[in-house]
Amino acid sequence: MKVVFRAVVLLLLAFAAITQAHAATDAATCLGCHGAMEGAVNVNQEKYTKSVHGSFDCVMCHMTLKGDQHKGLAGKPDKVTKDLAALLAAKSKIDPVAQAACTQCHPDVYEAYKASVHGQNVLVKKSTDGPVCTSCHGSPHYIQPKTSTESAVNHFNIVKTCGTCHEEKIMSEKYKFSENVMERYKESFHGRKLKVGHPGAPACSDCHGAHDIKDVKDPSSPVSPANKVKTCGKCHKGATPQFVAAITHQPLHPVAHFIEISLVILTVSTFIFIIIHVMLEIITDIRERVSRKGGKHE
Amino acid sequence: MNNSALPSEVERFDLSARIQHIILFTTFLLLSFTGWGLKYAYRDPATAWISFWGGAKMAGIIHRVAGITMLLVFTYHQFYLVNAARKGGLRLTLVPMPKDIIDLVQNFMYFLGLRKEPPYFGKFTYMQKFDYWAVYWGMLIIGVSGFFLAFPVTVSPLFPSFTLPWIWDAIGAMHSDEALLAVVFILIAHFYGEHLRSDVFPMNWLWLTGKMPIDQLKHHHPAEYDYLFGEKKDK
Repeated sequence: MKVVFRAVVLLLLAFAAITQAHAATDAATCLGCHGAMEGAVNVNQEKYTKSVHGSFDCVMCHMTLKGDQHKGLAGKPDKVTKDLAALLAAKSKIDPVAQAACTQCHPDVYEAYKASVHGQNVLVKKSTDGPVCTSCHGSPHYIQPKTSTESAVNHFNIVKTCGTCHEEKIMSEKYKFSENVMERYKESFHGRKLKVGHPGAPACSDCHGAHDIKDVKDPSSPVSPANKVKTCGKCHKGATPQFVAAITHQPLHPVAHFIEISLVILTVSTFIFIIIHVMLEIITDIRERVSRKGGKHE
Repeated sequence: MNNSALPSEVERFDLSARIQHIILFTTFLLLSFTGWGLKYAYRDPATAWISFWGGAKMAGIIHRVAGITMLLVFTYHQFYLVNAARKGGLRLTLVPMPKDIIDLVQNFMYFLGLRKEPPYFGKFTYMQKFDYWAVYWGMLIIGVSGFFLAFPVTVSPLFPSFTLPWIWDAIGAMHSDEALLAVVFILIAHFYGEHLRSDVFPMNWLWLTGKMPIDQLKHHHPAEYDYLFGEKKDK
């Protein structure tokens, strides 16, 4: 009996030692706690493993870890990542190193972002307004391929994603873009077609670019006066400067507003007239039938 | 009056007119159904409704094909009129006349019980004339704006530069608002006046047979009745 007990204890100890040895690089180990914890430190294991990065070990991005409980588990970030993390610290409060780690596998995207109006605002002007990777792509633990309807940057979701900032009046005032930019896009034929599922309808990034996005006033923007004809021409063959003036996202022009109001008045007044006419016709018809009693014409 | 000499019904629309009507309403319905989904894209069930028509791409194709067909049948109608005039068979019964204003006033008086008899309507009442000419208005406003929207690159040189900040919004509004007006008019005025009123309910078979029973003609279009059979009555 004593021998059996000793053997069991020994086996358990050995098992514990083996798990300990693998702990540093295994996502399952981290999820053992973080899968069950609540709040910002929670990671949904099922959703994580289904994400495009689901096979990664946590420490590949979370290279620095705080607290004694993580002692000996963290890796060492290189200088580039560390420097970038320092720049992102104001934007990405939970783990700037992990945010900066995206660039290790996506250097080309980072280069484009760095030169973009968003990247310049965050990295150079140190503003808290511009987006970092996760602002548009969503939680890094649950990133889905762009083709997935669950992806925040899917063709049919991108308008909503851009809208989280570009629909804000504070933003349009601060950065001097059209106040109604989102609204005007949404009511345009492009926006409507996209809403009802037209695969060819352009979303924001199809014309403005994504990681390399530029200010419209920047001559290198695909929608700058110099490039707009070419950009519209991607879909509208033979586009001319005259044609590309159609889309500006500027607030509705007073003349267009006047025409719309006139049409509404015309429609409503015709509607009222025919409703009254038909109602009177019905009443008269009933009255006639009652007085004739037979239902046949004289 | 010698009733035996009178036919039991009179032809109102010949075969060509009936076919034109069928093509017109088929394309009208297709255009309304597919256009509706885009006009109210942000209201449910627009997306589901567009999927029903085969998705946004297919709905767009249906809308364009139906639109072109409608413009063609409208063009054909003009030749049909010219041809009828050439043969001497065109009576200007649909041309708006001052009498239509009198009819309108008298009809409202009749509705309100201020008059015992309905107006002395001709072959087409003022509502029917309105209905007919509304198609011309629709073709002009919706047809032309639809053509512009279908070929924006091609038509854009037509617009002077001062119109550019508003012209496309105006064209879009014209297309969809006038379409709504047309749908509302057809659903209420045309459907009640031609198909749902009690003496033809639930359907006026005239759209298939082209013929109107003589008692209906006498009741609803007394001037036309007298025009056709008045002399016989006098004899």
